[in-house]
Amino acid sequence: MTVDTCSDDSLVEFPADGDLVAEMADRGWGDGLPLVAPTPERVDAMLSGPNEPGGPSLDPDEVISILPPRFGEASRRILAVNAVMAGCLPVHFPVLVAAVRALARPEVNLRGINATTHCVAPLLIVHGEIARTGGYNGGLGAFGPGNRANATTGRALRLVLLHVAGATIGAGDASTQGGPAKYGFCIAENMDASPWPTYPTTVGVNAPSAVTIYCGEAPHNVHDMESDNPSQILNKVASAMATTAQNNACISQGEYLVALCPEHAATCAEAGWSRHDVASYLFQKARLPAAELKEAFSLRAWPPWMNSLNDDELAPMTGDQKNIRILVVGGPGKHSSVVPSWGMTRSVTVAVDQQVSC
Amino acid sequence: MLIYRPDGAVAQDLDRSAPELAPALPVLAGCRIGILDNRKPNADVLLHRLANRLVERTGAIVVRADTKNAALPCEDQVLGLLAEQVDLVLTGTAD
Repeated sequence: MTVDTCSDDSLVEFPADGDLVAEMADRGWGDGLPLVAPTPERVDAMLSGPNEPGGPSLDPDEVISILPPRFGEASRRILAVNAVMAGCLPVHFPVLVAAVRALARPEVNLRGINATTHCVAPLLIVHGEIARTGGYNGGLGAFGPGNRANATTGRALRLVLLHVAGATIGAGDASTQGGPAKYGFCIAENMDASPWPTYPTTVGVNAPSAVTIYCGEAPHNVHDMESDNPSQILNKVASAMATTAQNNACISQGEYLVALCPEHAATCAEAGWSRHDVASYLFQKARLPAAELKEAFSLRAWPPWMNSLNDDELAPMTGDQKNIRILVVGGPGKHSSVVPSWGMTRSVTVAVDQQVSC
Repeated sequence: MLIYRPDGAVAQDLDRSAPELAPALPVLAGCRIGILDNRKPNADVLLHRLANRLVERTGAIVVRADTKNAALPCEDQVLGLLAEQVDLVLTGTAD
């Protein structure tokens, strides 16, 4: 055993021939699926990372973030424990660390995300070089299943929320129905098939690798197999956005993530549309009569200008076109998706520090 | 088999998992009661009805305040005003 600086109470004894899932569940740990035992040897290997020997070492007990509602300390070591349990490889660990940094940013509002009755889950989007070296899938079937990087890193993030943040059903997570995205929700941006600059550059992050945390629902499919121009495709996307059956309808600061498939994105780009043009068009088209929205929600988190719209005017589904986030995801085929927001949260993009070995 | 715990420590200086409650008031008669409406649907109905019953029974004085949004913590300014103006606060509703 190669246990280094850790307190005795950070280790627990489990029967070697016992049912690890059951034993952990008895302590309130795990997500219901089989787990990899976080032995000291495996956690040390995760912390050692994929970097060259002799590189600068980092403190494994440095607290990366403090996560509500439990206000647990997410140290590198604790993150490595959860990464091992989820089945991550060391090459995935820098992505998890960056994701946890992003989660703790105040604009994400993690306490609300975890505590709400809504089904919201943090979607982890991986960008750039680490998406390639880590084996993350932004292509065919990106939302899953079948790719280890996406599946285990997304799951590790959920385990961190369960264990460190305390987002356990009932005690720290009041989600009325829960949701499949709460098991794991991780994709990569498909830069090879994107006609536009990489997403992080649009939010001011210029780094070889980055992650975005966007807290929303499970994706809603938009299929268009016949259109040969941007407006026809995007009218369907706008239709998926313009509904009272989502929090965006009553919370104007809510964002939308529009994940265009490569073929839909190509149709837009070949017609000369930039990412900004797509967002501008959707802002104009994704609208409902103000009267319908007011009737559906007596309590609305809207700015004064939206509340003053006449009933017969069309109200936008979000208060600013900058709230419509566009990226390219998926493989061959003509299916895009819309990921509505929980509302009281903002997406965050941070660079990935690939030097995380300890 | 020895394994690591996956939960780790709770931040000591930020531990809000078990906040310390103010001591209970021995009698409510003549008290000043704050209603902190978190703007969840029906929170106003429940809290105001409860407050009205207390007023009828005890002669308490009611002070009403709202949070801006149910999904965000109550503003410090609102909490500060309530701390100055009331003896106890009724709040804490969900959907």
